[in-house]
Amino acid sequence: MIRRRELLVGAGALSLASLRGAPARAAAPEVVVGVLYPMSGASAQMGVDARHAIETALDIINNDHDLDLPTAKGAGLAGMGGAKIRLVFADHQADPQKGRAEAERLITQDKVSALVGCYQSAVSATVSATAERYGMPFVCADSSSPSLHRKGLKLFFRPAAHDEMFSTAMFDFLDAQRKQGKTIDSIALFFEDTIYGVDSANVQRKLAGERGYKLVADVKYKSNSPSLTAEVQQLKTANADVLLPTSYTTDAILLTKTMAELGYKPKSMIAQAAGFSEKVTYDTVGDKLQGLISRGSFSLDLAAKRPMVATVNNMYKARAGRDLNDNSSRQFMALIVLADALDRAGSTDGQKIRAALAATDIPGTRTIMPWTKVAFGPDGQNTHADPVLLQWIGDKFVTIFPDAAAVAPAKWPMNT
Amino acid sequence: MTTQALVQVLASGLLMGLIYALIAVGLSLIFGLMDVVNFAHGEFLMLAMYATFGLVLVTRLDPVVLMPLVAALLFMLGAAAYMGVVRFAMRAKANQGMVQIFATFGLAILLQGAAQYLFTPDYRNVQDTWLGGRTLELGGIFLPWPQIFGAVVSLAAFGGLHLLMSRTDFGRALEATREDQGAVALVGIDRNRVFALGWGLGAALVGLAGAVLAIFYYIHPQVGASFALIAYVTVALGGFGSVGGALVAGIIVGLVEAFTAVILPPALKSVGVYALYLAVVFARPQGLFGRL
Repeated sequence: MIRRRELLVGAGALSLASLRGAPARAAAPEVVVGVLYPMSGASAQMGVDARHAIETALDIINNDHDLDLPTAKGAGLAGMGGAKIRLVFADHQADPQKGRAEAERLITQDKVSALVGCYQSAVSATVSATAERYGMPFVCADSSSPSLHRKGLKLFFRPAAHDEMFSTAMFDFLDAQRKQGKTIDSIALFFEDTIYGVDSANVQRKLAGERGYKLVADVKYKSNSPSLTAEVQQLKTANADVLLPTSYTTDAILLTKTMAELGYKPKSMIAQAAGFSEKVTYDTVGDKLQGLISRGSFSLDLAAKRPMVATVNNMYKARAGRDLNDNSSRQFMALIVLADALDRAGSTDGQKIRAALAATDIPGTRTIMPWTKVAFGPDGQNTHADPVLLQWIGDKFVTIFPDAAAVAPAKWPMNT
Repeated sequence: MTTQALVQVLASGLLMGLIYALIAVGLSLIFGLMDVVNFAHGEFLMLAMYATFGLVLVTRLDPVVLMPLVAALLFMLGAAAYMGVVRFAMRAKANQGMVQIFATFGLAILLQGAAQYLFTPDYRNVQDTWLGGRTLELGGIFLPWPQIFGAVVSLAAFGGLHLLMSRTDFGRALEATREDQGAVALVGIDRNRVFALGWGLGAALVGLAGAVLAIFYYIHPQVGASFALIAYVTVALGGFGSVGGALVAGIIVGLVEAFTAVILPPALKSVGVYALYLAVVFARPQGLFGRL
């Protein structure tokens, strides 16, 4: 029980601290950035990993590091008089409404200068709209729904690829396999029932039609279901040449388990990352996913060409106890891209940061990604974020597509 | 739809339904005993799954062998939840119903938070089990052994519960207490003790369900939520407090869910269950086997 007296003493101490803090802040200015992730609920592990990734980037920005990343050299942001970034994390629990409320709180109460988030596309949709209303730049780290950058928002920026780019890469890969004489006629879609899954399936359905693949199953399922037996039964009956799942972690695990239980071995699978890029999925059911292909923004293989990738991965691994993956690499890059813009903006004014973000031009070699560069179109989308396809072989992902990035040929089909 | 696919859906629905029934029966039992809805029921299930996972890790024994131990642990948790939380909530002078809801709901949030703190939000999975990943194939119909085992455990638990309620002094005390709390106090039955044992029994049953589920489902601090919702619908459908009702309703829910997923887009597979639930609530508010 807190007594009133203690409360008063505590409040007094707090106000004294803030008084003392004020002149100190003037001496060493700081920029506050709001970060929104699911820290509780079914996706909480995602939020925990995202926090590690973003804090790794923060370490590189705020301290002096000999890395060829923007703002790495020298402590803090040189363009802002050595100002350091301070992060305020918020938990949106994968709920779009909570995301909106938390974004408002970060903007009005924590006085942040920019927002970063949010993993679930459904949450990024409400957060980006809220940011727009308050004139607040939003760097969308890892939500891949294409509809997000098509809303005419002025303050939305996405350094990573979206699902149309990812899905195009998948179908390019299928076309290439066909050219090599492999039989690929039919595809099956399996996708979760929020904006992420639905948008992903819409793109894949369209591409399949355009490129002459027959759609033999089109299964929209309820996320976090207790059972996926009936759904898998439909996939099994269809028995397509390629299964294209779009799922978060819970469903990725359950889908794989249920497929094994019902004796369904898909000929091949190409996944839309998310749950299929998570280490825990492979810890749990990795033996049943041998040969699975996932789209990716990131590949540890790149470390052979660019040693900086290994350095950053080791920094992240020391915090998170796991390697960077498709999600955490994008989260890392989001703060780096924002820091680069803040550095050039030299101001915490929303419009100035917006202008700096719009003028971003970071060559791919100064990132940890296989991207050509980071430069945003008028809709805030980086069109140079070339995706790769990775295949789960043994106990790691190897890059198999496009040829320029590939380190091994694809194993196709994955099950015979 | 081929006959084979039809039989497969029927079998899958039935197996899952029996597990739903096992998850729900503890909830129904506690409600029947003292008119309290345990909103932490899903969290009990979650803790049973973690208990199974932890015991497997420590003892290296098969989860099937560890089931009685998990049930015993959950029995203690249930009794403790009554003695530590619910007993006090029932003493509320005003708005007793609301106080009970908030007390068990608060317990649910506390247990979820504690689980996330202690076990991290990472997904767990019981790897070393003799049943895991095995499937029985009968003429093209695939029946996973863990689910068959779960269905058998469920039926055995219902049988055992029936015997316990009808043949033992404890069962008769339980039945008497649910009939008339005031009268049992007059004949010298310690009401608090019966309630605590009832909570223990309810939790032990969901403990069995958790141990079964841990064999084929992922384990996570939030895993209780999706099953708890189904358990509430099952209990309401079968009739609050009716043990037999929970069994029948669990099977109905499993079958309706499986068939809805085939007839409608799978994203709408809960619609069938809730439509049925609404229909029953309108036509028979006490549930299929409930007493008014």
